[in-house]
Amino acid sequence: MAAILVPLVILLPWLGAITIWLVRNEHPRLQHILAVVFSILTAIASLVLLTTATSETVIHIPLGKAFGDLTFVPDGLAVSLTAIAAVIGSLAVVFSVDYMRGDEQLGRYYFLVLFFIGAMTGLVLSGNLLFTFFFWEITALCSYGLISFYNDDPKAVAGGMKALIITQVGGVGLLVGTLIAFVNLGSFQISDLLAKASTLPAVSLSLIAFSFLIAAAAKSAQFPFHTWLPDAMEAPTPVSALIHAATMVNAGIYLLARFYPAFEGVPGWKMSVLLVGLISALIAALSALVATDLKRVLAYSTVSQLGYMVYAIGAGGVLASQFHLLSHAVFKALLFLAAGSVIHSVGTRDMRRMGALGSRMPLVRNVFIIGALALAGVPILNGFWSKEYILEVGLEHSPIWAYAIMLFGAGLTAFYTFRMVWLVFFGRERDQLNVHQAGSAMKFALRILAAGSFVTWLFFGGLNGLLSTTLPFHALEHESTLELVSAILSAPATWFALLVVALGFGFSWVRARGFVLFGGSWLNPFVDTSFGFELVNDLVVQGVSRFAERLRATQTGELNWNIFGMVSALLVVLVVLWMGA
Amino acid sequence: MNLLTFSGLIVIPLISSPLVYLAGRVGTHETTLHRRSFLVRGLALLAVLISWLPFSVAVQKFFMYGVQKFNIETIWLRVDGISLLMAGCVLFLGTLVILFSGSYMAGEVGEEKYYAMLLAMMGLMIGLVSASDIFNLWVWFEGMAISSYLLVAFYREQPASLEAGMKYLVQSATGSVLVLIGIALVLAQVGTLDMAEIAEAVLRSSVNRTSLLGAGALFLIGFGVKVALVPLHTWLPDAHSQAPSGISAMLSGVVIEIGLIAMLRALAVLTGFALSWGILLMAFGTLNILYGNLLALRQTVVKRMLAYSSLSHVGYVLLGLGIALYSGIELGAQGAFFHLFNHMLMKGLAFLSVGALMYGMFLRNGSHAALKVSDLAGAAQKYPLVALAFSIAVLGLGGMPPLAGFMSKWQIFVAGFETQNNWIVALMIFMALNSVLSLGYYAPLVNLMYHKEPSQQVLAGKPLTWTIALPLIVMSLLIIVLGFFPNLINWLTVPAGAELMKMFGS
Amino acid sequence: MTFTPLNVILFGVIALLGVGFYGLLITRNLIKVVMVLQILIKAVILALILAGKMSGSTGLGQSTAATVIVADTIVAVVGLALAVQVRRRFGTLDVPKISTLRG
Repeated sequence: MAAILVPLVILLPWLGAITIWLVRNEHPRLQHILAVVFSILTAIASLVLLTTATSETVIHIPLGKAFGDLTFVPDGLAVSLTAIAAVIGSLAVVFSVDYMRGDEQLGRYYFLVLFFIGAMTGLVLSGNLLFTFFFWEITALCSYGLISFYNDDPKAVAGGMKALIITQVGGVGLLVGTLIAFVNLGSFQISDLLAKASTLPAVSLSLIAFSFLIAAAAKSAQFPFHTWLPDAMEAPTPVSALIHAATMVNAGIYLLARFYPAFEGVPGWKMSVLLVGLISALIAALSALVATDLKRVLAYSTVSQLGYMVYAIGAGGVLASQFHLLSHAVFKALLFLAAGSVIHSVGTRDMRRMGALGSRMPLVRNVFIIGALALAGVPILNGFWSKEYILEVGLEHSPIWAYAIMLFGAGLTAFYTFRMVWLVFFGRERDQLNVHQAGSAMKFALRILAAGSFVTWLFFGGLNGLLSTTLPFHALEHESTLELVSAILSAPATWFALLVVALGFGFSWVRARGFVLFGGSWLNPFVDTSFGFELVNDLVVQGVSRFAERLRATQTGELNWNIFGMVSALLVVLVVLWMGA
Repeated sequence: MNLLTFSGLIVIPLISSPLVYLAGRVGTHETTLHRRSFLVRGLALLAVLISWLPFSVAVQKFFMYGVQKFNIETIWLRVDGISLLMAGCVLFLGTLVILFSGSYMAGEVGEEKYYAMLLAMMGLMIGLVSASDIFNLWVWFEGMAISSYLLVAFYREQPASLEAGMKYLVQSATGSVLVLIGIALVLAQVGTLDMAEIAEAVLRSSVNRTSLLGAGALFLIGFGVKVALVPLHTWLPDAHSQAPSGISAMLSGVVIEIGLIAMLRALAVLTGFALSWGILLMAFGTLNILYGNLLALRQTVVKRMLAYSSLSHVGYVLLGLGIALYSGIELGAQGAFFHLFNHMLMKGLAFLSVGALMYGMFLRNGSHAALKVSDLAGAAQKYPLVALAFSIAVLGLGGMPPLAGFMSKWQIFVAGFETQNNWIVALMIFMALNSVLSLGYYAPLVNLMYHKEPSQQVLAGKPLTWTIALPLIVMSLLIIVLGFFPNLINWLTVPAGAELMKMFGS
Repeated sequence: MTFTPLNVILFGVIALLGVGFYGLLITRNLIKVVMVLQILIKAVILALILAGKMSGSTGLGQSTAATVIVADTIVAVVGLALAVQVRRRFGTLDVPKISTLRG
């Protein structure tokens, strides 16, 4: 069964992508229908796949020494992420039917989206590190294509380029780690690396561990690679929801979670992961406090929430990270899509121009508030349970100062969430904006995700069961939803955390009364430069391009100079050979 | 001499070359001009299609009996894994280029010369890769060079192509002088020119090793001009960007690689220096990758950008070969040959796609202007197929999956890490970062083509013909298939890799 | 180094090569460039004959030399033909003036 479903969830969307491309842009209606049909079929297949999770290899195609065997392993980690990618993917596609209506290049849009969905499922299902890397790069390519989708806009082009280059540099980390593992193990199989990690030389293992950390940080927009995600918000909003909130950015979390048992014992690794998550969570939350672009606020909050997941892994809570990943995927997709409806309706992303939109688009307001409350961690929404779970793991297994900072981060989250909701939907009207009502496809996707934000925490027991039975190396204990609920509700830390969240809301409310939610702040200069890392990016980019421009002078086009190059190369080679011999 | 053996692969193009030329010259009456052009194209295509027959026979024989020796009169030739791979590349790209040129070159003054020279060049290249005598190697090489000078300077009305052709000629001729001096040095030491005999004779104690090293340096630099090793590359961006697009594809796709094979064959006869050559190849490879990428980054003319990217791709191949020679890892050689094959596909496709755009946007409007990067804007609207093909080509060159370039680069990486040598591993990381850097100029090309606001040139563009579209489709499909199933080409690259290791005796 | 005929020829070869490369490095006239190339080739022809003689396979040296003469004539013809075209299109044979492709 799984042997059919696995290729299905990868190839169905790809088939859809090619079909839609071939249909051509002259038939937009057909393209919409095809995209919806293929993505929903994929979602169904992925849900069925959940029931067949196994730690066995289901497909096995040998490709020779340098490429290893192409294998797929639909274990719990893989199938749960596949389901997230495919279900949220299909909702994003449904949403796009309204959002992208009238666009001239629908073929390219749906091609990239569906190609991405297939690649994302391939990435998590692959049992071969080479093909993990292979799909990893395809997702980066699709992400690039979609960020730059409105490519007559130079900002979109620059944002796409930035995302591509940064994630590719991170990809080099995955490549290096994979190859070091291969050289030591003679195999690209993930299961081999997990099984034999303890037999590897310590240096090799820590090289692999830290290379993978670099790759994961770049992909998940974590410190110090956090600069690309906010600029990626030039993408069409359904894409931001799918790729830059719910799925692709989770690939880094996936990588860390997948190899946690292998790298757990590497000295300093867990602490590094913890710090990466902590710093990302903190600085992104601070950035979200002052951002005025609605999508950028959401992007910062994504970085911040991904930081929580990374922090959880650093503290040893693989399960907690996956649980929060699930919650976050749902509520953040909801927030992005709702924000997309707002943006689609009013035609701007600038929160300074919005205000008092709530009464004019009640449904969007309601679902947005649901998502926002989940993000802030208010009971009984899914974000509450998973965030509390992470904080609980943090309290137990990480230094107390780290826990304190993460708790502070939860307060900041509540603060910027409230600010965002207030600025968009409440307060006074700041600008005359024409409001178009959201279409029915949009409303459909929003309703499903809003319902999801209420219920996905109930799947905790099922998720835990899947992970604990099919991940032989992770040694997870089985815990039911009920046990989680009682554990969280009985912990004093939970109530403390809720107090912090309430304080965050409170401060935000106080400021909102005084209309000081935007404008000058001592944080602005830090945020504008991504805490200085923008400068590093600029230096590298400008340095390289300036050097390249200067180097052009060496191509003088003069014959004598060309001959001089030949003669001097000959002399150098002669001298080198002479000295070598 | 049997035309159905490998020799047919050399003889058929060489004989058909003057025939094609004559077919284009007899009967100079104006009214027959169109029919004659048709005849020329048809004959050329026929000749190249017939050549597939001896190729398939040679492939079968090779896999049944191993390395084949045969002669054309007194010239002895030898078919091994490398010859087979390169002959396959030449024939494949040659066929598609001739098909492509059908429309592209239609009505050009001297069309018959174009096909005659192209066919001759193909025959000479296939001869070169199977030469078993070091002087014959030079003769084939020189013949190939001469036909390529004429092809580069084909648009003799264009000052820039004349300039490019002239520089190419002078540098290439200087290089071949160096090669000849090297041959003279070897001849003076061992008194024979047969490669197998030299390889044994150089081990005799009477041989002066220092002068052999000198000869090796001369081969490296002499042939290196054609390979475009970095300080010797200066002719390449001019020649590749000024030649007719089909020829740019041939030059980038096979001619520089054939030069590389000539270099390897010549170096291999100097037994016992594989380590030195390995290090030098890696050094030049590194230089090529970095320099090629940096220079391509700021180019504004598409073909010139692609020409610089050829420098960096030669660099990847050199790195793979260097690894194989230095540490005896056969995977490196296989990876290098795989990348060589992929580069033929991807760069050939890139140049042909650019050619297709130039055909639609310039040639059919009677202009010979160069295609600027900015002219690409919105090209997908009028030329969706070409835009897709060009995207596939450049993304493949940038090493993005699921395209062939990713897999061959990967194979080279694996070989590099297998050496467990820290320097080589560092080189591999450098190579990976350079791949990222190269996306800095490849990705914007793709982006530009999908703009919604088309450039003036695109708006004025004319439709293409199927002979232009067909080669693009074939190559695009092949690049994608190899991206998923890299082992499909093993039957060509594995014997080539094994032959290289045997040549260098490790 | 003794003053044998072989050494004299060797000296001649080296001298011609020196002249040739020096010429290529400084010549700016296209016709002269082709001439300098010819000087280089002549040096090579001498070298080949010398190498044949030194290694005792005189025939080999001479036959290769003869082949090189043929090949280099073709190169010279093509080079001069291009030079004629260059003169026609650019109106000059001065190399720096025809160098428009750069960077």
